Amino acid sequence: MTKFVVRRIFWTIPVILLVILLTFVMMRQIEGNPFRTGERAVPESIQANLERKYGLNDPAYVQYFNYVKGVFTFDLGPSLVLRQRDVNDIVKEHFPESAELGGLAFLFAMAFGIPLGMIAALKANTPIDYSAMFFSNIGFAVPSFLVATLAIYYFALTWDVGVPTSGWTTWQSKILPVVSLGLGPMAYFARLTRGTMLETMQADYIRTARAKGLRWRRIVFTHTLRNSLIPVVTAAGPLLGFLITGSFVIEQIFAIPGIGRYFVSAVTGRDYSVVMGLTVLLSVIVILANMVVDILYGVLDPRTRDARA
Amino acid sequence: MAVSPKDTRVRAATLAGPVGQAGTAGEALRQASLWRDAWYRYVRNKGAVIAGVVFVLLVLYCYLIPGFWKIPGIWTSLADIDPYAVEFADARQGMSLAHPLGTDRFGRDMLARTALGGQVSIQIGFAATLVILVIGIAYGSISGFVGGMVDNAMMRFLDALYGLPYLPFAIITLAIIGTINIWTMTIALSIASWFTTARIVRGQIISLKENDYVRAAKAVGARWHRILLRHLLPNTLGVLIIAVFLELPGVVLGEAFLSFIGLGISPPEASWGAMAQDGRAVYRVQPLLIVIPSVAIAMLVLCANFIADGMRDALDPRTRET
Repeated sequence: MTKFVVRRIFWTIPVILLVILLTFVMMRQIEGNPFRTGERAVPESIQANLERKYGLNDPAYVQYFNYVKGVFTFDLGPSLVLRQRDVNDIVKEHFPESAELGGLAFLFAMAFGIPLGMIAALKANTPIDYSAMFFSNIGFAVPSFLVATLAIYYFALTWDVGVPTSGWTTWQSKILPVVSLGLGPMAYFARLTRGTMLETMQADYIRTARAKGLRWRRIVFTHTLRNSLIPVVTAAGPLLGFLITGSFVIEQIFAIPGIGRYFVSAVTGRDYSVVMGLTVLLSVIVILANMVVDILYGVLDPRTRDARA
Repeated sequence: MAVSPKDTRVRAATLAGPVGQAGTAGEALRQASLWRDAWYRYVRNKGAVIAGVVFVLLVLYCYLIPGFWKIPGIWTSLADIDPYAVEFADARQGMSLAHPLGTDRFGRDMLARTALGGQVSIQIGFAATLVILVIGIAYGSISGFVGGMVDNAMMRFLDALYGLPYLPFAIITLAIIGTINIWTMTIALSIASWFTTARIVRGQIISLKENDYVRAAKAVGARWHRILLRHLLPNTLGVLIIAVFLELPGVVLGEAFLSFIGLGISPPEASWGAMAQDGRAVYRVQPLLIVIPSVAIAMLVLCANFIADGMRDALDPRTRET
């Protein structure tokens, strides 16, 4: 077990290096001059000085090495456009909002998606099942910007139930963004839970449990649910990517000062070090989450340890 | 999918055309019992059939409606349905006979413009799915066919990239290319999305490799490319068709997201995402403008999901119970 965990943790390091390398190579292909402001060309001497200051004249491998060193010491370098600020400042300032939004949306998705899937599985092929699956199919297909816009239109404007149209301050202002972002993952959880539960209910040990007269509640919660939630755990990794993608849109709509919104303005402002820093940050988060999920999966289901190590 | 040793005999048929609506399917039906069985199973699945019909209607609508105004004499009454025609006198109308879905703030007809946007969205969707499939097939079949160390290294590389958020990488790709149009969007959206397909293809190749008919082919001295191209890849076809409809929703939504945050298709061109962004600006006075393109996206995604489910059930009856 320890061997499995240690191997899995060490395996993350080359993965992170690889992703940094890919991002680094991609970023270097982008044309355009971040030091140019407006229409005026930057005088040559100033341009040269700036490039020296930010180490843009060093050979590529030196720059890459310095960057990797920075990432592992939690220093993402200076911003190229905002002269007085580091990428770290930007992360510190904008990441908490994004993390909170994503975390709450994830909790929302789990808290409602798993029970919904459970109910659908227990009432399989009844109107309850069909309406739950209809709802989750819709929730999965409707783009989050429509959900968000309609939510604002009805809850904040037409019915005015006390939630603001934008912002990220009071708890009321967090309801609509969290629900809009979490609806897709919720539908995903519901479908997944239903599928794995139906599968588990076919298993021999469930029949045995029934045959020996266990109570319904015990069969469902102890035997079925525990085993069918294991595959659901693995969905957390891909879902994180889904949430990050979704947050780009949701932060834009609700004017939430998070990473996604900042990323977009950094791209248009050609602030490459910020774009790169945020891409690396998001990727590392996903990689680490995948690692945690894998380890968790190994702990919950010993059969997978060898295959996934 | 279910694979029997007979499959090599129906190779020509499977290559000619799989489960489809067109006449080529008829050819396949007579010869290939695997595909005929699958077709019958698919047709019995009501949800999948409805989804298939709606999908075809949606695509037909997108490609036929904007063309109608170009046919003089036949569609003269629809002459003003031009997705680009700006007519401020008609701006911001609700639904009416002249403009069934209303008009936007420039007086452009929404019925025609949604169709135009659909063309762009569907085109990007299918083009990117094709690119994803090509990369996925190449990567997955090399990995699965060669096996050993190469397979191990290639899969580790995939594991590394798996689950990465595609949007930042798509945005960077667009920044590298510098211009935004259908083709650059296609590249941007496929560049970080082919990992699942590669895994699926590899899994298929590896399990097919163990079949007796592949061993037999090897035993009679077939060269590796013949085994791969004639015996292995054609038998992954069913899985690949399912993969098309599994990848399509993600790509269509990705395009919509990119355009919605202003980094994708921009006016006067239209895509469903770009139209939604346009409608978002005026949602307080005319919510219809964001609802229409979004519902179109949702319909496409929903249909593709149901078609993929139906096809999986049809091609692999073992999974049908759950």
